[in-house]
Amino acid sequence: MGTLQHTELASMSYEIPELDKGYAGQTLKVDLGSAAFEIKPVTQDMKETFTGGKGFDLWLLWNAVRGETKWNDPENAVCISSGPMGGTPIYPGSGKSIVTSISPLTGSVMDSNVGGYFGPYLKFAGFDALEVSGKADGGNVLFVDGETGSIQLLHMDGLPEESYALSEALTEHFGGKDRKKVSVVSAGPGAKNTFFGCLNFSYYDGKRRQTRNKQAGRGGIGTVFEDKGLKALVVKCTSFSVDSNNPADKDALKACAKAHTRNIVELDPKQNQMSQGGTTFITMIMNDHDLLPTHNFRYGQHPEAKNLGAEVFRRLFDPGFDGCWYGCSVACAHGVKGFVPNTGPYRGRQVFVDGPEYETIAGVGSNTGIFDPYTVLEINFYCDIYGIDTISFGTATAFAMDCFDSGVIGLQQTGGLDLSFGNRWSVLTLLHQMAAGEGFGAVVGRGVRHMKELFVREYGADAKFLQDIGMESKGLEFSEYMTKESLAQQGGYGLALKGPQHDEAWLIFLDQVHNLMPTFEQKSENLHWFPMIRTWFGLCGLCKLPWNDIVPADNSETEEPAKVIGHMKLYAEYFSSVTGRQVTPDDLVLISEKVYNFQRLFNLKMGYGRRAQDQIPYRAMGPATVLEYESRQDRYDQELSDKYGLDASGMDTRAKLTALREKREEQYEKLTDAVYARRGWTPDGIPTLTTVKRLGIDYPDVVELLAAHGVTE
Amino acid sequence: MITVDDQELEWFEGMTVTDLLERIGHQGPCAVVRVNETHVSRPRFDETPVPDGAEVYLIPMIAGG
Ligand code: SF4
Repeated sequence: MGTLQHTELASMSYEIPELDKGYAGQTLKVDLGSAAFEIKPVTQDMKETFTGGKGFDLWLLWNAVRGETKWNDPENAVCISSGPMGGTPIYPGSGKSIVTSISPLTGSVMDSNVGGYFGPYLKFAGFDALEVSGKADGGNVLFVDGETGSIQLLHMDGLPEESYALSEALTEHFGGKDRKKVSVVSAGPGAKNTFFGCLNFSYYDGKRRQTRNKQAGRGGIGTVFEDKGLKALVVKCTSFSVDSNNPADKDALKACAKAHTRNIVELDPKQNQMSQGGTTFITMIMNDHDLLPTHNFRYGQHPEAKNLGAEVFRRLFDPGFDGCWYGCSVACAHGVKGFVPNTGPYRGRQVFVDGPEYETIAGVGSNTGIFDPYTVLEINFYCDIYGIDTISFGTATAFAMDCFDSGVIGLQQTGGLDLSFGNRWSVLTLLHQMAAGEGFGAVVGRGVRHMKELFVREYGADAKFLQDIGMESKGLEFSEYMTKESLAQQGGYGLALKGPQHDEAWLIFLDQVHNLMPTFEQKSENLHWFPMIRTWFGLCGLCKLPWNDIVPADNSETEEPAKVIGHMKLYAEYFSSVTGRQVTPDDLVLISEKVYNFQRLFNLKMGYGRRAQDQIPYRAMGPATVLEYESRQDRYDQELSDKYGLDASGMDTRAKLTALREKREEQYEKLTDAVYARRGWTPDGIPTLTTVKRLGIDYPDVVELLAAHGVTE
Repeated sequence: MITVDDQELEWFEGMTVTDLLERIGHQGPCAVVRVNETHVSRPRFDETPVPDGAEVYLIPMIAGG
C-alpha cells in the first residue's frame, strides 16, 4: 500500500471462493452507517430468475428498500454487479458492470451500465454483486482485496476532490507497481451538488501508463454515492484468465469467442471503424437524416454540425488500442491526449480527456448550439472529473437555454449569465457553478423536472409550454436522438423502464428511415423484442456494441437483419458455454423478460410504473412551436393531407399545429396500448398476474403489490 | 475501377453514390455508405461523387444505437 493516510473503521477476512460457471456464489453487503459487512449466498433461484448483473442488483435493492424509501434515505443502496460472462478476457465486450439505486431524478429504480474493470474484478475477488447502504460522515473508502481475501472500510483524508485525480491516487496507493490489478469507483463534487451525478469506473491503460475512466452516467447514482459519504470503492484482484470464470465448456467458449472476434476484426474496418473513431461517426449520419438534436431538440440538423463529426474527432483522438476491457476488439473507448482547458481548475494544464462519445457530442454540443469540438472536449472533461452525467447536463442546459431564448427566464434569474444558444463561456461557467453548488448552475443541476416546477412557481412560466419543451420523462433527461418522426422511438423512450434512454430500444432507422415496421403490431413486437434482448446484455456483464454495431457480412440476407441473428446465435452459445444452461436466442428473450417485468413492478412498488409515467413531452412527438412547424412545413402539411385526409390549405400554422398534435398524441396512445398488450400488461401498464406467474416472479410480496393495485388476473 | 463491399465495379466519370447503388442493383435497406473514410447518408447519395479507386462499403444502419 502507498503512503496516503487512513484510519481503519472496520475490516474482515473472507475465503476467496473458486468461481463456478461464471458465478462467485456470494454477494457483499456493506452498511456504512454501522461499518458492518455481510456476505450473502447467491441462491439457485437468483441465478435462474435474475441471471446476474442488473438482475442481481434489482433483487438486492428490492429487498433493501421500502416503497416509501427516498433516494437519500440510508436504506437506499448502490448495487454493482457484472454478470456470469463478465470478466471473460477473450470474448469482445465482456467487462461491463451495471449499477442500480433509487434515483434522485426519478424517485424510482435506476440502472446504468458502464465499462472499466470494477465489476469483473469484484467477481474475481469473490463477489457477484456489491450492495452499499447506510450513510457515513464522508471520506469513506471501501477496499476489497481479492489477493488476500480482506475487506476494509477506511476513512481517508487529503484525497483529491475530482474523480480522475482520485482514481489515479487510489490506484497508485492500492496497486503500487501492479496498477492493472486495481479498479476504482468514484464520483466528484458535481455529483454531490447536482441530481445527475455520474460514477467513474476506472481501468488502467498500461500503454499510456495512466488510469482511464468510463462513466455510469444515467439517473444520478453518483449523487446517491456522494450523499452516502462515500469517497471511493476500490477492488484489487489477482491475475486472471479465461479459466477464472470456470466456464462449463471452455472449448465451446473459445470457439464462439473466436468467431465473433474474427467478425469484428474483419468487418469493423469496413463498416463503422469504431476502433478508430468510436461512436463519433454517428453525428453526421444523424445530422443528414434530421435526427441530431439541436437547440433543445427543436431541430435535427445544423449547418455547422460537421465541426463535430468523426473526421474532426479522429484527428484529435490519441491513436492506439482503446478497449475498456481485455480482449475487446471493437476498442472504441478513445480519448484525447494533451488537451488544455481554457477555464476552471485545470485551466492551462495538459489533461487527458476520456471521450467524447456521440451522446456527449450531441448533448453538450449540438443540443446547446455549441459546434466547437474543443468546447465539447472541455465540457466532457469537466463533467467527468466533477462526476456529472454529460447527457443530463446537455439536455438540462439546453432546456435552460430554450427558456432563456423564449423569455421564460432572463439575466436576473440566471445571475447575469447570457444563456443564448451557442454561448460556450456561459455553459462552461454553468458547469463550474454546478460543481460548486453555486449560482444558476445549482438550479440547472437539479434537472429539467425541477426547473419546470421552479420556473412555473417562482417566475410565473406557462406550465403547459414548459411541459412541451422540457425534455424529460419520469424525471430523467432524454438522451440525444430526435424522435419527432419516429413513433416507434417515441415508444422506445417513453415506454422504457427507467426513463428516456436509448439503451432499451433504438428503432429510429428501422422505423423512420427504412419504414420497416409500418403497423402498430410490428412496432409493438419490436418494442418487446429489442428491450428484452438489450436487457439481456446487462444481466450477463456484456457490452451490446459488438452485437449490432458491427454486423456479419451476410446479415442483410437474414430474415430480420435488425436482429443481427448471426451474432445472437453466438451469444446463445457463449451463455451456454459459460453457465452450462443450454439456450437458444429465443430463450434469451425469456431470461430477460423475468428481470424486465420485475423492474416494472419495482417501479410500481416505488409509486410509479403506470401509464401516467409513460408520457413524453410533446416536442418528442412533433413540432411544439409555430417556428418548428414552419421549419418543416412541407413534411407536416403532407402528413396532414396524405395520412389524415385533412385539407391544410385553408388553415394557419397554429391550427395545423393543433391538428397534427391531436393526431400524433392519438398515435402514441394507440402504440402504448399495443405495447402493453404485447408485454402482457394491463391497459394501465402493470404486468398482469398471468404474466408474473408465467415468468416465475410471483413472489408473495409481488402478488400482494399487484392485488393492492387491483391486478388479480 | 472501384470496389463495393470488396467486389470490383467499373467506375465512370461523374459517378455518384446513387449511380453506384443502381449499378449494383441494390435492393435492401441502405441508409449509409462509406466512401473511403467518409460516411455518406442517403439524403446525400445523389450529390456525392464517388472518386476513381474508391473503396465503398454499404452500411445498413438498421440496428446500432
Ligand atoms: S465495444 Fe467499446 S464500450 Fe464496449 S466493451 Fe468494447 S471498448 Fe468498451
